Amino acid sequence: MDHSTSDKFSELHSKMGLRDILSVGSSGLRTRRVRAALSVIGITIGIAALVGILGLSQSGSADLLKDLDALGTNLLTVQAGDGFRSQQASLSSDATAMIDRIGPVYEVSATTKITGGVFLNDLIQDGRTKGITIVAADLNLLSAQRGSLKSGKFLDEMTSQFPFVVLGSVAAERLGIRNTSANQRIWLKGKWFIVIGIMEPLPLAADLDRSAIIGYPAAYKFLGFDEPPGVIYVRAYPEHIHDVRSVMPATVNPENPEEVQVGRASDVLEARIAASDTFLNLFVGLGAVALLVGTIGIANVMVIAVIERRNEIGLRRALGATKFHIASQFLTESLLLSILGGITGVVVGMLVTAIYAISQDWSIVIPVYVIAGGILCSILIGGIAGFYPAMRAANMSPTEALRTK
Amino acid sequence: MINLENRPSQFALELKEISKIYPGPPIVQALSEISMAVTHGELLGIIGSSGSGKTTLLHIMGTLSIPSSGSIFIDGRNVVGMSDKQLSGVRSQQIGFVFQEFFLLPGFSALENVANGLLYSGIPSDERKERSFEMLGRVGLGHRANHLPNELSGGEQQRVAVARALVHNPSFVLADEPTGNLDSENTASLMGLLTTLNEEGTTVILITHDLEVAESAQRKITLRDGRVDSDLSR
Repeated sequence: MDHSTSDKFSELHSKMGLRDILSVGSSGLRTRRVRAALSVIGITIGIAALVGILGLSQSGSADLLKDLDALGTNLLTVQAGDGFRSQQASLSSDATAMIDRIGPVYEVSATTKITGGVFLNDLIQDGRTKGITIVAADLNLLSAQRGSLKSGKFLDEMTSQFPFVVLGSVAAERLGIRNTSANQRIWLKGKWFIVIGIMEPLPLAADLDRSAIIGYPAAYKFLGFDEPPGVIYVRAYPEHIHDVRSVMPATVNPENPEEVQVGRASDVLEARIAASDTFLNLFVGLGAVALLVGTIGIANVMVIAVIERRNEIGLRRALGATKFHIASQFLTESLLLSILGGITGVVVGMLVTAIYAISQDWSIVIPVYVIAGGILCSILIGGIAGFYPAMRAANMSPTEALRTK
Repeated sequence: MINLENRPSQFALELKEISKIYPGPPIVQALSEISMAVTHGELLGIIGSSGSGKTTLLHIMGTLSIPSSGSIFIDGRNVVGMSDKQLSGVRSQQIGFVFQEFFLLPGFSALENVANGLLYSGIPSDERKERSFEMLGRVGLGHRANHLPNELSGGEQQRVAVARALVHNPSFVLADEPTGNLDSENTASLMGLLTTLNEEGTTVILITHDLEVAESAQRKITLRDGRVDSDLSR
């Protein structure tokens, strides 16, 4: 009577294809759409935050790095620092020539601040200078800064002899001057000067953005100004930049080298990149917290689903589902939920990045690893959140599950 | 239609000295040394009052629960000692269940609910649909195939559940108080259906406390305190 041989059993095994597992796993979501949508919001927010933050930081950093590449990291600023003597130290008038003699230096441009107010006309002389500084500069200042003009032209051999002025971007904005077509005059230290150029912002020397720049000859001729340079901008070949930097103080002021301050203009930009990395870590942390909350949310919804669908579990066991089939049904449901949330989150994050990057004039950079990471992360979350509910469903005794009270 | 010639044993189901003890506390002896054999094509009624062990017996017959001692042969094959996975295989192919509460899945059409009876048997989806549609026709609901459970009357829902229990051509159908949630008209109609299906060859084991419902059975086994009290054939 005993036919219980293993070959006989094998023909009786429950079987279920992958398509059926997916179909059964998604049935709970199809019949409870609102709950499914609500339960994935946590994951969506978390993934969207991570993708958006990583995308934005990459786009922002890419922009800064692009700026850095364009502006170069080989610009040194040389200025007089505080000496041991009581009065403010200054650079010597032949400092420019001495720096020019350093081998790897290929461009030197001096500037000197001139005290005095800058006004739109001679009627406003109430001391409201709008924070605009008068600067006498060498003719190669714009090329040393790798700057460009928004309008007009920069000072040249001829215009630097006459009362002509080039405005920094902020200075032009504060004076309300948009272009140079009208030969606009401004009242500069009690003299009329004609605006012949407006510069684009100079990322390596933000203080020049707030300046009205005139030639040294004009400064001497019209303002009676003749002082040594205050800040000298030096371009040297990048591979020698450290050597140039180290010999600079002794070259400029052999007697008191400690009175010379040498800085690297691009350090400011690099500091900005580093600062954005710090914020990045903070926001990634916040995104991770959102994901954790989302995971708990999905696990919670799945545990409730298992309790609510006890009878369905019992029925499926009676219809021949194995423990594995029941576990895979609930695990699939949890995975589908979290992947749905993950994909939505990636799309939202990418949209946010794109919209913000466009508004900031950045290039849109969303690394593939961020997208793949977002999806993988959601799969992992689905697995973790669904594991316990799936095991609980699978190990439910069929007779218990079929009880109605 | 059921083909009796291909069955490996003359009995669809055979129980030998089945006992079931729930370890408790308190320890409860739900079934004591029950033996019975159900021939293919039989319509057997198992009657008993509440607490007589009907439900425990149904669960053991349906391999949903394991007896403390004794043997169960389904189509001549002893299922005691099989793994959980093997028992699932037995249920997916040899046993059909009809429950008092119907247990139709909401959100699934009548056809899909019937097709769930074949879901774990490894049959391709198209064939499952085809066979389910045919089965719905046999229970008189071919025209309601695409309706959702909440669009069907109680009687219709139980007919869908009967179709689901039969669609995989099982060795026997276990019907647990199938008329418990039906009015008298639908009860008569469902019993008519089960009788017809039985006449066409389906082995039906009907578990009920309702003596009137049990009247349709050719053979009646009465349980009392976990033992067979009487075994009468008409």
